[in-house]
Amino acid sequence: MSTIQIVNLTKNFGKFTALNGVNMTVKQGEVHAFLGPNGAGKTTTIRCLLGILKADSGTVKLFGGDAWRDAVELHKRLAYVPGDVNLWDNLTGGEVIDLFLSLRGIAVDRSRRSDFLDRFELDPSKKCRTYSKGNRQKVALVAALSANAELYILDEPTSGLDPLLEKVFQDCIIELKKQGKSVLLSSHIMSEVEKLADSVSIIKDGRIVLAGAMNEVLGKGTTLEELFLSEYAGR
Amino acid sequence: MVIKMIANFGKYFRFILKREGFMSSIWVVSLTAFSAIIVAMYPGLFPTAEAMQGLVATMNTPAMIALMGPVYGIEVASPAMVMAQECLIWLAIAVIIMNIFVVNRHTRADEELGRFEMLASLPVGRLANSAATIAFSFLLNLVVAVLIAVFLIIIPIEGATITGALVYGLSIGMQGMVFAAVTLLAAQLFSTARGSMGVSFAVMGVAYALRAQGDVADNVLSYISPMGLGLKVEAFYSNDFLPVGILMAEGVVLSLVALWVHSRRDIGAGIFPARKGRAHASIALRGPLGWAVRMMRGSFIVWSIGIFALGATYGAVIGELDNFVENNEMISQMLMAAGGMSMVDAFIAMLNPIMALIITVPLINCIQRLHLEEKRGRLESILSAAVPRIKLYGSFTLIAVIEAVVFTCLGALGLYVTAEATGTVELTVLLQASLVYLPAIFCMIGLAALLVGWRPKLSLAVWVVACYAFLMFYFGRIFTDIPEWVRKLSPFSNTPELPVQEFTATPLIVMCIIAIALWLVGLLGYRHRDLGR
Repeated sequence: MSTIQIVNLTKNFGKFTALNGVNMTVKQGEVHAFLGPNGAGKTTTIRCLLGILKADSGTVKLFGGDAWRDAVELHKRLAYVPGDVNLWDNLTGGEVIDLFLSLRGIAVDRSRRSDFLDRFELDPSKKCRTYSKGNRQKVALVAALSANAELYILDEPTSGLDPLLEKVFQDCIIELKKQGKSVLLSSHIMSEVEKLADSVSIIKDGRIVLAGAMNEVLGKGTTLEELFLSEYAGR
Repeated sequence: MVIKMIANFGKYFRFILKREGFMSSIWVVSLTAFSAIIVAMYPGLFPTAEAMQGLVATMNTPAMIALMGPVYGIEVASPAMVMAQECLIWLAIAVIIMNIFVVNRHTRADEELGRFEMLASLPVGRLANSAATIAFSFLLNLVVAVLIAVFLIIIPIEGATITGALVYGLSIGMQGMVFAAVTLLAAQLFSTARGSMGVSFAVMGVAYALRAQGDVADNVLSYISPMGLGLKVEAFYSNDFLPVGILMAEGVVLSLVALWVHSRRDIGAGIFPARKGRAHASIALRGPLGWAVRMMRGSFIVWSIGIFALGATYGAVIGELDNFVENNEMISQMLMAAGGMSMVDAFIAMLNPIMALIITVPLINCIQRLHLEEKRGRLESILSAAVPRIKLYGSFTLIAVIEAVVFTCLGALGLYVTAEATGTVELTVLLQASLVYLPAIFCMIGLAALLVGWRPKLSLAVWVVACYAFLMFYFGRIFTDIPEWVRKLSPFSNTPELPVQEFTATPLIVMCIIAIALWLVGLLGYRHRDLGR
């Protein structure tokens, strides 16, 4: 059974067609890269996966369940990091992390939480209003990674992180892979994706234009960056 | 299915309690204290039964009824009853404003800022947020209602009964409940927090206007408007609990409708989608003034319509004045005694300070917008583009001054449009009587600018002064023994009340000088202080 299975997903916003028959499969235990330029439909697809947007047609399945109908049950098994993290001015980062964990209905795993706080060098006692963009991103990352989920949906999780922390992030993903977790990773950093991903989907104007295992998609001597750029050449 | 929709309701509710605890406590404490202080003041108002009958007679005039609602139980009037008639509507308005803020903050505002998306990715029911918010506001209203009632029972005031105190408090609380539900529904229909809040306030304005019309003409409009219905409890007289029940039912039904709409829509979207915009900045948007104008454009349009409509509402009341005076011997006699002062003139003189105070609200907002942009971190990119600070400070002031003139004229015009048919008003008189309040309004603009210039964190102080001005206008009429200087601390009390009083230029000139001085001092501060959060 696939962890994520999207078949013929269509989503319109008024007259604008954001997704036009998207197909995507993510197998259990793989890191799946989700690439595409801004506005191609990555975030819309992810929001449909999270049951935040309702599909106009097509099926969106997570762990075999319906992403819209069974949202609450499915969310217990996944963790999400949005691309643009906004938090509550008057709560501290630590409070937000605990809130997110408690909403999952699990006890906060203190050692896991403090482990990730250390690794990402985040001070959880500061109010969110004082955090920079990178620090807000870290709050969301620590909350997601501490959750011990089966699937991690990460929407440009490293935007705003410095190169040192990006390395920490990559190590975390490799560890997750070793533990047999699935990851859907949307990113603009091709070198990062090439290092981490087992398979890839490239979206363009609301359609998947290229999908497959990383070693199949990349011919000899081509880098992911070259492939990506060629896909959009003459656009 | 329903249970799944509100999964994690309890935790979410506690989360709202945590976020909201401080702000809500301030609201609850100030509302209760305000109510308690008034209750404590009232018994001293009436040394004799005649004094009370005199006040009741004043209240039983169309202008006062339009302002605060119908008078009941004249023959058996007690201090508690008079207090309830005069204060219920103001407390209700304050509670309604509290509800609009609270509900909007936890629904559309959260969604717009993208915070809701993260929560929605967790095992939280689709409606948990909306349901917890409405439940919280219900609790909040109940607490306010009970506390108001408790203080009414504790503080000795003649004519107070436990039933009356309860029905009084509950009417206020349930009006808040209806508007919490209205705001929740608006949050589903409009895709921006500003839009849904603006619409909620507009609904409040319409409810007040319907009530004013309905109460003066004594017709069904008073029952259609929740604010009119809330006054029908007739606290300390007939103590009718039926309106409270109806208001509660309205609140519940509206909430359910809002939840139903929410369950069917995408997060981030409204039922009325945001329009597509232009690809290029128009010439009007170039430069700091153009930017400031664009920031304030929406609010300018909404307030223009609102103030014109309010003027028109009061103008419609003028048509009823003559009938009223003819049928009320006591009022006719009072007018004779006052030297044949025209009823319409008295009405206009009383109305203008209120209009001026209402107009001050968007103007203070306009000045404080400069600080809001700073707080949101959006000013950096403007200032980094070679814009001197004085231009920003000046742009928002200029807009506020122009808005002051336009709004004042629109209010007078609205009044004229509906009152013209009675043949009792002249446009020039109306314009003079309202424009004379401009210097007082400028003082408020100057004070707001001063605070933004030096201590934006104390911006609340300007609202305190505005409330003070309102209290002085209101109680200055009832409590004749308030010392003159206490009254004169409010700029609005220094303005000659045309057309009843004589025009005097001196206070107006002094106020203009004060306003300019405040603004200049504020400019000094703004040019030198650190900008940032």
